[in-house]
Amino acid sequence: MTAPLAFEDLPLAGRSRAPFSLALADHQTVAVLGDEESGVDRLGGYALGLESPPGGRVRVFETSIADLPLPERLAFRRRVGYLPAGDGLLQNLSLRDNIALPLRFGSDASTREIDGRVAVMVVAVRLESAADRRPAQANEEECRRAALARAVAFDPMLLVLEQPFDGLTARASAELLEVARGGETADGARRTILITGQELPTVVQRRCDRVYRLTRAGTLELETV
Amino acid sequence: MSSGPLTRIGSWAARWLSQLGALARFSFGGARAAALLPRAGRAVVFRVTLNQIRFTAVHAMGLVVLLSGILSFLVISQAVRELGQIGATGLIGTLMVIAIVRELGPLITALAIVGRSGTAIAAELATNAVMGEARALEGMGIDPRQYLVLPRFIGAVASVFSLLVLFDVVAITAGFAAARLNGMTGTRYAEIVLQSLSAHDVWLTVGKALAFGLILGIVPSYFGLSVRRAATEVPIAVSRATVSSIVGVFLCSALFVLLG
Repeated sequence: MTAPLAFEDLPLAGRSRAPFSLALADHQTVAVLGDEESGVDRLGGYALGLESPPGGRVRVFETSIADLPLPERLAFRRRVGYLPAGDGLLQNLSLRDNIALPLRFGSDASTREIDGRVAVMVVAVRLESAADRRPAQANEEECRRAALARAVAFDPMLLVLEQPFDGLTARASAELLEVARGGETADGARRTILITGQELPTVVQRRCDRVYRLTRAGTLELETV
Repeated sequence: MSSGPLTRIGSWAARWLSQLGALARFSFGGARAAALLPRAGRAVVFRVTLNQIRFTAVHAMGLVVLLSGILSFLVISQAVRELGQIGATGLIGTLMVIAIVRELGPLITALAIVGRSGTAIAAELATNAVMGEARALEGMGIDPRQYLVLPRFIGAVASVFSLLVLFDVVAITAGFAAARLNGMTGTRYAEIVLQSLSAHDVWLTVGKALAFGLILGIVPSYFGLSVRRAATEVPIAVSRATVSSIVGVFLCSALFVLLG
């Protein structure tokens, strides 16, 4: 079995420190936590090919996204759900339109089909009452729900979530993690998930298969919950 | 290493050419991205474009009417008085067409749009970049140029063209009023202005609208999206976009004169 996402020898916290390597197996939910200096906040960008690492390589479904030509790179990213730090919601669109955006620009589906799919997702993330608000009119939890719905718009099998639960209650975090997992299979979650951030609520850590702490020295330590 | 004037001029020219190349790459990349738009994406771009036209053209109509009316009224009033003393009122038509319709009209319209909308586009896109929205679009597999740049470019071209036509109509009407107030008959004014107008002027208006629209849509977008993560970069990007757009419009205007 090949890993859906693998980081190999990335000089994450500078070349003087230990290189970062990690492979996520199918259906696993893995969290990598660390402070800002650890370089953990760069993992999402490297995985999606938004930035190229100064060394080592990142493979997503056996492909290095950053090495693909632009049109292929953009198309490939639709196979990966991405929730960036700070949501990245477009401020001039309603939450509903934000969720619909990747489908409108990345699929040949008709407007009616897209609207139908978005309506289902709005219910799935329990955003019915706030869907027509703009991000500035919604609270942080509603924005995060919308950003997660947008990340799973194409029903990807791999999700990269950057600081997805910062500022949320443990209950809301647990609920969103279940949406991200997309259901259960015999081997674990339906989706493979990488969560990066500084801290995670205990209830979320318990639902992860592995939680690592990236130290300032660049070593990866397995956390026990 | 020598750092004489020639070296400095050379490095300035190299930087300028490199920036021009980057702008060209940005424009061609945007055009290619536009060709790949799916149907539902085209509907979104159309909606954003209408919004851009509302802001750039509809909201700027008052300003353009004011500038065009005052400019034309002043120029024609002075011309009727001064040229009337030497019996050369026939030149008013040439003055109206060459000075106002062909040159000043497009320039003033473009400057008004740079001031109102060019700065707004640069600031908006720079904010998109700082807030991580452009990066999020890329992360979702959307070319930011499809959603952020294309509607602004189409909106700018359509707005410049509409405002140029409005400027010319108002200028000719205000010139009529000025001529009448200064003792010239309306028939005589219409006759000399119509004599000076040609199909060439119509094509020139279309050409300038396209060229200026290209500059006013692409340059602010390019500088806006070149911002990385710091909010302090936003005013710098806006300032660079404004200056580059103004320089671009003047150079382009000179090019039109050279090409005849």
